[in-house]
Amino acid sequence: MSLLFRNRSTSKGNPQGARKVKISGFRRFVMFFVHNAQQAVGSLGELARYPFASMMTMAVLGLSLTLPATLYVVVKNTQTVGAQWQEASELTLFLQKGLNEREVETFTRRVGLDKEVASVKLIPKAEALEEFKEYSGFGEALDYLNNNPLPDVLLVTPAESMRSAAAAQSLLQRFEREREVDFGKLDVQWLNRLQSLLDLVRDSFGALAFLLCVSVVLIVGNTIRLNILSKRDEIVVMKLVGATDGYIQRPFLYTGLWYGIVGGVIAWLATFILLWWIDGAVMRITELYEGQFELAGLTGIEMLILWAVAIALGLIGSYLAVRKHVSAIEPR
Amino acid sequence: MIKFEQVSKTYPGGFQALSHVDFHLQKGEMAFLTGHSGAGKSTLLKLISIMERPTAGRVLINDHDLSKIPRRQVPFVRRDIGMIFQDHRLLMDKTVFDNVALPLLIEGYSIQEARKRVHAALDKVGLADKVRHYPMMLSGGEQQRVGIARAVVNKPPLLLADEPTGNLDPKLSMDIIRLFEAFNQVGVAVLIATHDLGLIARMRYRTLTLREGKMIDDGLQEPSA
Repeated sequence: MSLLFRNRSTSKGNPQGARKVKISGFRRFVMFFVHNAQQAVGSLGELARYPFASMMTMAVLGLSLTLPATLYVVVKNTQTVGAQWQEASELTLFLQKGLNEREVETFTRRVGLDKEVASVKLIPKAEALEEFKEYSGFGEALDYLNNNPLPDVLLVTPAESMRSAAAAQSLLQRFEREREVDFGKLDVQWLNRLQSLLDLVRDSFGALAFLLCVSVVLIVGNTIRLNILSKRDEIVVMKLVGATDGYIQRPFLYTGLWYGIVGGVIAWLATFILLWWIDGAVMRITELYEGQFELAGLTGIEMLILWAVAIALGLIGSYLAVRKHVSAIEPR
Repeated sequence: MIKFEQVSKTYPGGFQALSHVDFHLQKGEMAFLTGHSGAGKSTLLKLISIMERPTAGRVLINDHDLSKIPRRQVPFVRRDIGMIFQDHRLLMDKTVFDNVALPLLIEGYSIQEARKRVHAALDKVGLADKVRHYPMMLSGGEQQRVGIARAVVNKPPLLLADEPTGNLDPKLSMDIIRLFEAFNQVGVAVLIATHDLGLIARMRYRTLTLREGKMIDDGLQEPSA
């Protein structure tokens, strides 16, 4: 494109010799992509010239993403475990002390017939006291008590449809309104506590992940900035012969892209290694609880998202650097 | 082709490099720009290539007012101007071919198309056999000729040279000037800034003279012998 001289190819200002090559708009369009590809490969070659320095930046990017990715997997797995346990929820109903045996038995039967209850088990207070004597270690000391301080207890397993935490909670509230019941406890309550603890952990790690992403952007940006400054002379010459800022910026943007691509792969590998490491510990815990549990890793989609995040961070970092520094370099 | 209208340039800090400079260089004309160092020769060339903007007055190229050219379009102006520097500004880690091909690749030529042009340009400056060399392997005069090949490779209608013979002996300087003459003969306007008065004296070209930022002679009042 000639700004000052229209019809440059026909103007007198052409030395004879090689034929003028006319470049059509379409060719320009095609060449734009060809040049992009060339610059992409070129910047990859540039990275390969300094493999150690390049790998360091890529490793920073990858490892910074490994921590949030691993924590994400851990939280995800805990949630599935929590969901499994919530399914098997059980209500504990502590009955009023003043009831006689017949009343207790009638109430137990009534609860057992309830549509929303799968099964019910009565632990009579005498039995409970025996058990308490045996396990608590107070032993003989309890013999000095004049009467049994323990209430009768009903263990209620809700019907299939009532096993979610919320449904079980409403069932509990219904039973608590019964005359015979002193108070009830839902064994998912500790799970709720665990859940909110997990939420806290997840939120704080979300913030941590955000900070790590910001630091990745800054690190990539700074690396690209140093790249730009080390090529200062070359950039000046390119500007002198008519290169646009966009043309000069592109190789650096591609460098950021490559950082992201390789950094993302590093994040995958590091996450897999870390999860494999954790898996051993998880196995031991599940053996203790005699549970069946498989640690779920990253799914294909999640891996792609992780990769996309890495690439985006690389691009943002390099974009911030080129935007500021390429235009600042002017021939003098 | 190049027209200065009452152009002044004051650098930040108050140094006045040019004051009220007026001149007009015709299409296809070749001229020397001379004056002692610090007289404003380089500043004048920088105003043409928009490396600096004038503080007052207008610079026109081919009737286009350069002050109306936004920053974004400056690269396209520079593609019409071949620039040659005393320190030739070659990329030392690139081959002669890559150096000369740079303006073409920036303009969107493919390597195949660029190759023809680069060879033609290098042929013209007599360096066709040095395509694969690195600038470090060449002599000062040869490096300067690579710089010239780079300036003319996309056939600009205008050549600017800032002390192109500054580091060369008289024989080599003459060779370089003869090269500019050859380009001028096919219609390229050439403006050469130099303080090499001996060189100018041997040539019969218009000579513009600057002293302390003022144009004391635009070479038109009395035809030089």
